[in-house]
Amino acid sequence: MSTYVLMKILESSPDRYDRGIRFLTLGQLDEAYDRLTSHIRPGDRVLDIGCGTGALTLRALARGGVVTAMDINPAMMDVAKKKVGAYRAEIGEAAGDMVFLEMGVAEMDDLETGGYNVVMSGLCFSELTDDETAYALGHVHRILKNRGMLLIGDEVPPGGIFRRFFYMLVRIPLAALTYLVTQTTTGAIKNLESRVASANLEIESVRRHGIGGFMELIARKRD
Amino acid sequence: MISYILTWIVTRFVWLLPLPLPPRLVKIGNPGRSSPVLVTCNWRLTVRELSYRLRREDLYLLVANSRGINVWCAAAGGHFTHHDVISIIKTSGIENLVDHRTLVLPQLAATGIDPVYIKKKIGWKAVWGPVSARDIPGFLAAGKEATDRMRRVEFGLGRRMSVALGWAAQLSIPASLVFVFVNREAILPLNVLIFGMSCALFMAFPLYERFLGRPSRGWGTIAFGFEQGGVQLVLWGLYTAGVVIPAGIIGGETVLFFFHWILAGLVVTLFLTFDLAGSTPVYKSVEHEERSFTVVLNVEICRGTGICTEVCPRGCFDLDRVRRKIVFARPDDCEQCAACIVQCPFDALSFISDRGERILPETTRTYKLNLMGKRQVRAS
Ligand code: SF4
Ligand code: SF4
Repeated sequence: MSTYVLMKILESSPDRYDRGIRFLTLGQLDEAYDRLTSHIRPGDRVLDIGCGTGALTLRALARGGVVTAMDINPAMMDVAKKKVGAYRAEIGEAAGDMVFLEMGVAEMDDLETGGYNVVMSGLCFSELTDDETAYALGHVHRILKNRGMLLIGDEVPPGGIFRRFFYMLVRIPLAALTYLVTQTTTGAIKNLESRVASANLEIESVRRHGIGGFMELIARKRD
Repeated sequence: MISYILTWIVTRFVWLLPLPLPPRLVKIGNPGRSSPVLVTCNWRLTVRELSYRLRREDLYLLVANSRGINVWCAAAGGHFTHHDVISIIKTSGIENLVDHRTLVLPQLAATGIDPVYIKKKIGWKAVWGPVSARDIPGFLAAGKEATDRMRRVEFGLGRRMSVALGWAAQLSIPASLVFVFVNREAILPLNVLIFGMSCALFMAFPLYERFLGRPSRGWGTIAFGFEQGGVQLVLWGLYTAGVVIPAGIIGGETVLFFFHWILAGLVVTLFLTFDLAGSTPVYKSVEHEERSFTVVLNVEICRGTGICTEVCPRGCFDLDRVRRKIVFARPDDCEQCAACIVQCPFDALSFISDRGERILPETTRTYKLNLMGKRQVRAS
């Protein structure tokens, strides 16, 4: 029985991922991503760290960005590629250039120094270890142009004991249910602001919403 | 030792769920600048076992992020790849601690990790360590050389006990919960039945092993899976004749007693033997529609590197040193783990579906189309 059950559990489920995440974040995610990507201007060179199924990638493309999307999961990226293909077929020549790279944050050494106007990441930092986060943020600083922007939408633990308690109350059953259905769940990243700041990036705005479990963060590289 | 045992017990109960430890660098003993660097998964039990088995060594152990899943399943399911290995090397600081650039990877990760990619990206050379943690000290003492025996998966007594208790616990927990409401008195005998049956089944494995690998002969019903040697019927029959009937007669029980316990025995038997072959690490599951996939060798392309013999956990290949070619000597032992396909540098090995379609090795590599992947979907 084991391989059968394990196969069902482990079968990476990119097709179900989008639905799972939307459910888990109670639908706040789409709005948050729209708001974050509204800062992208036509012609901007954009890096999407952990593009997954392409939620941010597609928005950046639609805003005229020239996007590099990276992820370690080729099956997830396939879903993103399909979406981009469909978008291109619809909009034709107007769609900007883009590339997909199968790589993890520890392989960011290859990316061009000062080559990007915008680095963005949705629900990826919360999946990284502390060391990986520090490593990635160091490279974000390196590859951003001066005044370039970092846009992060991710799960954070809410502030305050009461909020935290309420959050756990909602979050635990939701996460368990989502895990059972999609084998997808997300963790929360602690001290996101101070980590970004310690990578020498200046925080421009922070917006928490819902009961505080999700954060939109915008930071900029100083001149 | 104690934390190893405790973790072992806990993992029996959460057997099918990930149980992670934070990925990190673990120093074992007193490692120096030329000490070996080993990589493993971050399943709690594996890390605990390694810490125990390697307690007399001096080395660095890199616990990579395999999402809390064991090496083989994580690698086969695409949750433990070269990206995770690179990540732990780059972010753990190991590059500042040793002078060499050689990595020992667990052999069972060969279905998911591409050492060529690691070498190209960060310059670390990988060698395949043995299958079992128990053999690592011997492997290191022999100058990172594994014997043929170290390269094979085995289903020995300890492993069978682990599997037996693992499955029993998976059934025992929900069954006991239900019976709290239905009939509390039945909980104890029910658990004796579950654990006893599971242990009997897996302990008797050598007796029926030779039937497991065979293809279906088609005369059994689905429920009884005669292609698995009819072991279910034997087990159920022995239990009925040897336990229920004597117990019922001695206790002067009613017909209902016999009915209940014979039925319970049937349910437990079916649960435990549902995919008996797949429950072992040495046979491929027969519950997959893709079971008819086979590994084929294109002997023309093969250059006799011997890499496939090194990673095959079933010892299916022989190396013909004179002709510098591989011989696919024991195809019947193959459990379709795809390690050989993924690792062959010349794409000489690939899967062929029952309809004769060849799956490109690159496809197998990218999508982990091995015993757990969605092979059928990707056949094209
Ligand atoms: S790995 Fe490939 S080339 Fe090397 S011996 Fe095996 S089949 Fe031949
Ligand atoms: S021959 Fe079969 S068992 Fe051996 S490595 Fe290849 S797929 Fe795995």
